[in-house]
Amino acid sequence: MVEISTGEGLIAIGAGIAVGLTGLGSGLAEKDIGAAAIGAITEDTSLFGMGMIYMVLPETIVIFGLVIAVIAIMV
Amino acid sequence: MFLPESMSRIVIAGTKANIDKATEVLYDTEAVHLVDHTVNADEGYSIGSPREYSSKASERLLKVRSLIKELGISLKTEVKDMTVDDIKARLDSGDVESTEKTVVTAIDKRNDLKQKIDELNSLKNELELLQLLPVDLELYSGYETITSLVGTVGTDPTEALKGIDAEIFLAKIKKSDSVVAIFVKNEDRDSVSYALSGLNFKEIPVSSDAVGKPSEALAEAEAKLAETEALLEKSEAEIEGLKEKYTSFLLAAEEDLSITVEKGEIPLRIANSEYSFVVDAWVPTKNVDEVREKLTEKSDGKMYVEFLETRGRRIADSEEVESRFREPPTKLDNGPYSKEFEYALKLVNVPKYREIDPSILLGIFLPLFFGFMVGDVGYAIPFIILGAYGLNARSKEWRAIGRVLFFGGIWAFLFGLLFYGECLGMHFTGHYSETSITWEHLFGMEEGALGAFSSILYTAVHDGETHVGIGKLVEVPMLLKLSVYIGVVHLFIAFCCKFFNEYIANGFKSAFLEKGGWLFAFVGMVAFCYALAFSLFAGGDIGTTLTEEYMTPLIVGVVFLVIGLVLTIRSDGIMSVMELPGMVGNILSYTRLAAIGMSKAGMAMAFNYISFSMIFMGLGGGIIGGIVGFIVFLVCHLLIFFLAILSAGLHSLRLQFVELMSKFFEGGGKEYAPLKVVREKTFSQNAVKNNPETEV
Repeated sequence: MVEISTGEGLIAIGAGIAVGLTGLGSGLAEKDIGAAAIGAITEDTSLFGMGMIYMVLPETIVIFGLVIAVIAIMV
Repeated sequence: MFLPESMSRIVIAGTKANIDKATEVLYDTEAVHLVDHTVNADEGYSIGSPREYSSKASERLLKVRSLIKELGISLKTEVKDMTVDDIKARLDSGDVESTEKTVVTAIDKRNDLKQKIDELNSLKNELELLQLLPVDLELYSGYETITSLVGTVGTDPTEALKGIDAEIFLAKIKKSDSVVAIFVKNEDRDSVSYALSGLNFKEIPVSSDAVGKPSEALAEAEAKLAETEALLEKSEAEIEGLKEKYTSFLLAAEEDLSITVEKGEIPLRIANSEYSFVVDAWVPTKNVDEVREKLTEKSDGKMYVEFLETRGRRIADSEEVESRFREPPTKLDNGPYSKEFEYALKLVNVPKYREIDPSILLGIFLPLFFGFMVGDVGYAIPFIILGAYGLNARSKEWRAIGRVLFFGGIWAFLFGLLFYGECLGMHFTGHYSETSITWEHLFGMEEGALGAFSSILYTAVHDGETHVGIGKLVEVPMLLKLSVYIGVVHLFIAFCCKFFNEYIANGFKSAFLEKGGWLFAFVGMVAFCYALAFSLFAGGDIGTTLTEEYMTPLIVGVVFLVIGLVLTIRSDGIMSVMELPGMVGNILSYTRLAAIGMSKAGMAMAFNYISFSMIFMGLGGGIIGGIVGFIVFLVCHLLIFFLAILSAGLHSLRLQFVELMSKFFEGGGKEYAPLKVVREKTFSQNAVKNNPETEV
């Protein structure tokens, strides 16, 4: 077992929360967009590109979370 | 290369007597993009009516399509044994009609047999029930004063029929269901029916012609059923034979008739007066002379071609003309490499005539980002092989995917070999530990044995320790920074394209005033954030860390930001200030390049740790442990490989679509679609001699 200080533990928890909550956030956002996009694509397959763009827009949120987590741990 | 091909507008005129010949010539040129004539566009001209041969051809096309459907022929079936002359001769001799007759007769026969089988099956089911009762079939009918009721019931009816003079035969089928035959006086029939209706009674009709024991009748029905089923099988086989026989004819006929119908409907798309026709069309500028020559020559001088204009890219050039000529069609002008990336581009939209065609940018960055994210020799090689298969695939989807995988694989190989120094999540050389296995160690070599080889690898120092090749999970801050720099370059290109698009449309002054602000603001934002981020992360008080080194970029950044802001607010309004933080978001979005590499490396590390512990020490370290470990190793890496296609591929595409293209790409252009005959199922021995007049 590696001994770590309380401060380091808190940093690790903070990083985890950053990634976890932002992941949840993007998931929630993508859920609705994805459903709508699939609906639109079944109507007209040429909407795939647009559907994909809108679908992945909220993904950036989790990337922000990851950046914060990395900064918290590494910097 | 960066812009769609330049287009020119021509007008073609001729006499109506020559319209069929003219249609042929227009199709032969394969360069004329028709502008549909609209009602009342020109005085004295109206939309024409289809040629006479086209209605006959449509009728036949309808027949052929229904036959294709009836016979269950897939339109994708590959046939290539019909010459054009052949199919035309067969159409002329009425082969469609005779084929229809043969096929419809066969299908009707099959349907009759199917119906007969259904009837026999229900008869069989009824007889199976009746044979449980000790009553012969002729005894159910033929009485004057009594009636029989036969059927199934949910519960025993004896109780319910108490008080009515009736003879009841009952036989159990299962649990509570039974088959029952009730003989009653004619006058009691209604009351019995009423009583039975509460017992879930379902009547079995018994034909008055039936005689003999039900079991005998059943045997007879079964024999008949078997006979009919044999007939049906034969009939199915016959239809299958017809399908085989006519597939190539029907598919070829479908293709040829579609072409004939399309050609016959050309008068609906062009301007017609009483004796003449006029065609407005776009042709690529470089082909104008060739098209003019071909049209006049092939029509024996009976068509008059006039060149009207070569359309410029500026918006002002298109403002004066009629609305139907305002937007020229887009003919993308790409080399053999970037051509395959047009597919990905068209997933979003077709570029307008006057805007940059981003295919080449997709062609450069899509595989590059993919390779950067995968960055592993072990996964790169299967990607290259898989991609090489896709390179010449038939469908353009697979060609496009194959291209990304192939070139992405090459980049992944280069990054994996020279930058990350990794294969299947393990470094070639370096310090060995349980969680960081090296190939050197695997092959029992000493640490640093691949030293000579490692000299070509990227070397980094981290925590005072020299690493050969970048550890995706070790050099995280460095990889994140690198991703951000890549993002800055990528976005800078995007803003330049935005600027250039405006420059093409409205000239330099307008571009500088309208879109230049974004370029300034972007550069300013980058410099500003660079200075701030580095001084913040240096630790300590911002006042002490903001040294001279960072002061210059900070000041430059602020100056550029202010210039940019002034320009953008002037052109796009005060709301554009809100979009500035979005730029930072866009740049940070590129950290996914590092993040996805990290996630893959993390998975690979865990899987390697598990499988090598099994191989070397797990399960007693025996042969079984080794085999299981090896299987785990293979399966897990296959999993990472397929995840790589999904995550690296999609995220790379997203960076192009969302971050790059949304900055400047408008889309909404019309694709250049010249009149031409596309034959896939038929081929011509010499030049296609299809004169529609001889066809019908």
